Amino acid sequence: MTRQTKEIIIKYVFFTFSLVSIIVLGLIVFSLFREGLPIFGKVSVKDFLLGMEWYPTSDPPSFGIFPLIIGSLIVTVLATIIAVPLGVMAAIYISEIAPQAIKEILKSVIELLAGLPSVVLGFFGMVVVAPWLQDTFDLPTGLNIINASMILAIMAIPTISSLSEDALYAVPREFKEASYALGATKFETITRVIIPSALSGISTAVMLGMARVIGETMVVLMVAGGAAAIPGSIFDSVRPMPASIAAEMGEAPFRSAHYQALFAIGIVLFFLTLFFNLVADYVSHKFRQVGSGTL
Amino acid sequence: MDSDIIIKLNKVNFYYGQSRALTDITMNFRKNKVSALIGPSGCGKSTLLRLLNRMNDLIDGTRIEGEIFFEEKNIYAKDVDPVEIRRKVGMVFQKPNPFPKTIYNNIAYGPKLTSMNTDDLDTLVEQSLKQAVLWDEVKDILNKSAMNLSGGQQQRLCIARALAMKPDILLMDEPTSALDPISTAKIEELIEELKKNYTIIIVTHNMQQAARISDETAFFYLGNMVEYNKTEKIFTNPDVKHTEEYITGRFG
Repeated sequence: MTRQTKEIIIKYVFFTFSLVSIIVLGLIVFSLFREGLPIFGKVSVKDFLLGMEWYPTSDPPSFGIFPLIIGSLIVTVLATIIAVPLGVMAAIYISEIAPQAIKEILKSVIELLAGLPSVVLGFFGMVVVAPWLQDTFDLPTGLNIINASMILAIMAIPTISSLSEDALYAVPREFKEASYALGATKFETITRVIIPSALSGISTAVMLGMARVIGETMVVLMVAGGAAAIPGSIFDSVRPMPASIAAEMGEAPFRSAHYQALFAIGIVLFFLTLFFNLVADYVSHKFRQVGSGTL
Repeated sequence: MDSDIIIKLNKVNFYYGQSRALTDITMNFRKNKVSALIGPSGCGKSTLLRLLNRMNDLIDGTRIEGEIFFEEKNIYAKDVDPVEIRRKVGMVFQKPNPFPKTIYNNIAYGPKLTSMNTDDLDTLVEQSLKQAVLWDEVKDILNKSAMNLSGGQQQRLCIARALAMKPDILLMDEPTSALDPISTAKIEELIEELKKNYTIIIVTHNMQQAARISDETAFFYLGNMVEYNKTEKIFTNPDVKHTEEYITGRFG
């Protein structure tokens, strides 16, 4: 066999393997749509997305997922508000300030956090955070938005922190030296040079953290409370979309309207995560190309 | 005689961890002169330069012995804030390193740290860019990213940025080694112009450059200062044979 034929064979082997994963993913998306789309023959897209009532097993059933969407969004936004400062600050501390020994410890602890199974975190939310919230704020239940947001924030921190850290490390040493040489302190260098230079990477980290949170199932299933209604305060229970799917899929009869509606929720979720990923991608490219010259 | 000495090194030893990078350096730099530091790679000339504005503080595991006096004050004394030193001793690096900000904000970066008001800032930006002979080329694009400038322009921007702090001394670490001959010539002209108002200490690999622009030249080898004298003397009739061999290109 000549060297050239070998090269060609190797090329096609790799091509085949990459094709397999793409095809499998494509088929999953295809089946998601095949199972989910028929619901729109029974309910209009508008009634489905904006309908206020989710009673899939009543007679007649109503399939309005607006409260579920709101549940997902509010939990995601709140988790992001909690996780971003913590994650970004941790990344700045690790990459710019911490002495070597502390840096190593912190990095491994955060990696450990990323490795925690979500069910363990959910369990923690259920038996530790929930009773505490209930007692402290005198609530009917501790399984609510704020509880879910806090636990989700803990899950998002490793993503946000480690990706932000990469972005901060990628800031050229020359920028830092230039800043110090002009008589800037460490704090001034961090806030005026390092963070602006790493901003696109940090934004990407935040978007990917949000994508992780919005798709997370186990935690919201366990600690969000499960009420399919528009919440009035952060101490109310909600039922985010992944929790609905996980909780109800087992009891929904095969190819029933309920079953199709759950798949359709999956489609909505798919588009939401896709949106976050696209934004993350866009942000990271956009800033890089113009040399972030206007920061 | 003593009054025109601005920096005085007294028995300076410098270590990166265990390895000694500079051995017993004692030398004086004179005010409003251009002093060139030459020598083969790794001889310690850049290390010495970075000692003068305490940039080596930023590297972990370094240690200095001896004293460096800047205007009669030991800059390595305990009560000295390196930030203060760096405001008086500007630095230009080997690779042009403008911030990914606008041209205006590059120049204004340093002065803003010292909380100047904005009216003065516009004047200062213009003045600094004029000093660096860049004003005519960039006056219409002050709000464009500095990253769009050519390498030579970027380097002059970096010089302007350093000048905006109104330093007493300008340290230059091989400022033209990444530039083409035309940009290099411009920077050299600029140095000639700047020495009227500033003390310039320049590290260079280019012997002709040292001969062209400097008043005094120090030759370093393996962390030792071999010879330090008037540039003319070093290049025509050096006292040490080693210096002559390096300058004539027999080693290095």
